[in-house]
Amino acid sequence: MLEVLLVEDSPGDVRLTKEAFRATNESVRLHVATDGVDAMAFLKQEGAYANAPRPDLTLLDLNMPRMDGRQVLARIKSDESLKTIPTVILTTSTADEDIVSSYRLHANCYFSKPVQLEDFESLVKTINDFWLTVCQVAA
Amino acid sequence: MNTATRLDRKLQLEFHRGLLEAAPDAMVVVNVAGEIVLLNVQAEKTFGYSRDELLGQPVKNIIPEGFAERIIADGTRSAAEALAQQIGTGLELIGRRKDGTEFPIEIMLSPLESAEGILVTAAIRDISVRKSAEKHLAQMEGRYRGLLEAAPDAMVVVNVAGKIVLLNVQAEKQFGYSRDELVGQKVKNIIPEGFAERIIADGTRSAADALAQQIGTGLELIGRRKDGTEFPIEIMLSPLESAEGILVTAAIRDISVRRAAETNLAQMEGRYRGLLEAAPDAMVVVNVAGEIVLLNVRAEKEFGYKRDELIGQKVKNIIPVGFAERIIADGTRSAAEALAQQIGTGIELIGRRKDGSEFPIEIMLSPLESPEGILVTAAIRDISVRRTAETSLAQMEGRYRGLLEAAPDAMVVVNVAGEIVLLNVRAEKEFGYNRNELVGQKVKNIIPEGFAERLIADGERSAAEALAQQIGTGIELSGRRKNGSEFPIEIMLSPLESPDGILVTAAIRDISVRKAAEADLLQKIDELNVSNEELGKFAYIASHDLQEPLRMVASYTQLLSRRYKGKLDAEADEFIAFAVDGANRMQRLIQDLLSYSRVGTKGQELLDTSSEEALQRALVNLRAAVEESGAVVTHDPLPTVLADGMQLIQLFQNLIGNAIKYQKPGVPRVHISASRNGAKQWKFSVKDNGLGIEPQYFEKIFGMFQRLHKREEFAGTGIGLAICKKIADRHGGCISVESEPGQGSTFSFALEGVKESHASQQG
Repeated sequence: MLEVLLVEDSPGDVRLTKEAFRATNESVRLHVATDGVDAMAFLKQEGAYANAPRPDLTLLDLNMPRMDGRQVLARIKSDESLKTIPTVILTTSTADEDIVSSYRLHANCYFSKPVQLEDFESLVKTINDFWLTVCQVAA
Repeated sequence: MNTATRLDRKLQLEFHRGLLEAAPDAMVVVNVAGEIVLLNVQAEKTFGYSRDELLGQPVKNIIPEGFAERIIADGTRSAAEALAQQIGTGLELIGRRKDGTEFPIEIMLSPLESAEGILVTAAIRDISVRKSAEKHLAQMEGRYRGLLEAAPDAMVVVNVAGKIVLLNVQAEKQFGYSRDELVGQKVKNIIPEGFAERIIADGTRSAADALAQQIGTGLELIGRRKDGTEFPIEIMLSPLESAEGILVTAAIRDISVRRAAETNLAQMEGRYRGLLEAAPDAMVVVNVAGEIVLLNVRAEKEFGYKRDELIGQKVKNIIPVGFAERIIADGTRSAAEALAQQIGTGIELIGRRKDGSEFPIEIMLSPLESPEGILVTAAIRDISVRRTAETSLAQMEGRYRGLLEAAPDAMVVVNVAGEIVLLNVRAEKEFGYNRNELVGQKVKNIIPEGFAERLIADGERSAAEALAQQIGTGIELSGRRKNGSEFPIEIMLSPLESPDGILVTAAIRDISVRKAAEADLLQKIDELNVSNEELGKFAYIASHDLQEPLRMVASYTQLLSRRYKGKLDAEADEFIAFAVDGANRMQRLIQDLLSYSRVGTKGQELLDTSSEEALQRALVNLRAAVEESGAVVTHDPLPTVLADGMQLIQLFQNLIGNAIKYQKPGVPRVHISASRNGAKQWKFSVKDNGLGIEPQYFEKIFGMFQRLHKREEFAGTGIGLAICKKIADRHGGCISVESEPGQGSTFSFALEGVKESHASQQG
């Protein structure tokens, strides 16, 4: 099974992403954290997430309550054990400053969420094909 | 009597004869018996007898009285006594000629001892001329002596023979003679040259002529005293008709003192002339008697006299009042006092020219010690011009006051010294002063800074320069009221040439209200800028944040449509279709809004950009639309311009996109060209063969959300051309459209070109 952590506070997006992965790859198991605090707990296997798996890929939204995506990204990439996890930004923002600051914090990739359903499904497929299929990642 | 004695006597007589004949007068030798024993030729002529008719005859025949008696009387005295009594004494007697006529004679007796006893030699002079002259003169003397003696000068009356007939005491003193020594003597004795000749010459003329010629004319000659010394004299002649013919009265003045003064002056003149002539003013040097002793050429010109006409003359002739009095007053003071009082003080007086005309002068006095006493040098300046200027200023004031008062602003006229010379009522009100408190005062009192400095600087420039610099230039300064409060003013200067130099008229406007308005405006602008910035951010943030819910609506209506189309009823399908369409349109709207807001917020620096390259990029972006429509897009070679590359692409993309979109059936043709628009700009045109636009919409189509077509005909948000306009505006070139409905449209915009070298390198 491929473990994917989706950090996303919008239930609509969570559902769309789930639908898209279901249509793309049956072996993906999508875990969801609805804010940065949950996400870090999941990654560090703390509290309720003590038994959480180490994800093969993290999809990270930027704008969230409590701890936002930038803070999560900064923590992952400054943590020796977590920094090798491919962390891909998936957000509605197309702002240059968001793109630039994300790469500065060593995001592995940055995607804007397309408005059209078909485009979104196509993007999820691309992510799957690249990060979960073609790409060699650190074990 | 023996022979020897006779011979002796004869010899003695022969000896006497020689002497007698040499004498100028008639000579008669008479013995003590009163008989003539010897006579000369002069005696024969004088009395009209031949020698023989007289020898041995009694002397009474020719001198009837006073002579013989005297000799006879003398006979009773000793020879020594007679000698003592008679030598050197002229006796005036009467002579009788052979024809019986009588005439006045003067005889001088000299006794002579002889063997025959005492002989008396009588020198006989016909004194008829003298006697008649004396008679006339006695009359005349009676008449004129009083006058003569009253005269201050030496007076000598001379007859046409050049002999002195009358003189006064002054003349005696002057020449060192007693009256008797001069009367009857040649005037040449006392005036060796130039006088007698003149009288003789005058003798050939009528008295009237002589009078006309000589009266009032001073002749400078040389007088000679009895002791032989000479001295300079000036004589004034006045002819006088008399029974004896014309007599000339000469008034003789010793001018040694004047000559000495003249010599001194000549020396001084030598010394000072250079200085005097170098002076820019008329210079007159005056002695304490108020007489002009020196002057320069300018003084001659100024007063219209020649030098000779002024030297020695009273200064009152040219400066009637106020100058001579001053000098005379000074004569009673020490030079030092005069110096202290008058140096450097300009006195305004009136000068009078030879022609009688008067003109205003200013004199500056400087006393000068000289051997003649204090001399006063007066520098005289004609101030008619200045006076005229003052008058014209007064006139000008009259003329300009009306204008000044009519002006809506406070008006102040200032001279180059920075002093207020004129002002209007508004100026009084504005600054809170009365006119009298300001006229003549420094303009600095009411405009402390920036105005006077400007005038002083202008004083050094020509009027033309000042004019060129300042006319029409409003200068913002600060005004100060009498109560010390300050207020912002704007002044407009206009120089005005006047006889006094440049005057500057300053129109002064209280700009407190304008200043407040300006400050208010600046604040408004600041607020507006903040507001615009917030609006820009808002548009961006809003369009950005709207994306999130939009995506939800769009995605889920599409998901709904995909999964349930045909599974619900027909109405549900229609509703879902409307929802999907609405979501799609909202998506485009938000994207366009975002693009629009990004023109301002995300704009890049304007750099050298190949417009041809930008066009190509735009065409790549439009490839699908071009292919779908089958449009033919052509273009001319395009230049390198100064632009934001991304925005230029968007501009082309929007315009070409529109050209393809708003088409009628047929092949859409779009042509892009650029032409020079002035030296710096390029004018770009995007020309299509599409639907065209009615002129009434030319302006409107560039507005936000403005659409000309129904949604069913052409989709669109109405933001595309607004974005184009915003981009064109940002590049400094306006965008416009030329179109005819049905014939197509041409959209034009201007872009700044780059220098040729750049363009050719890039091209």
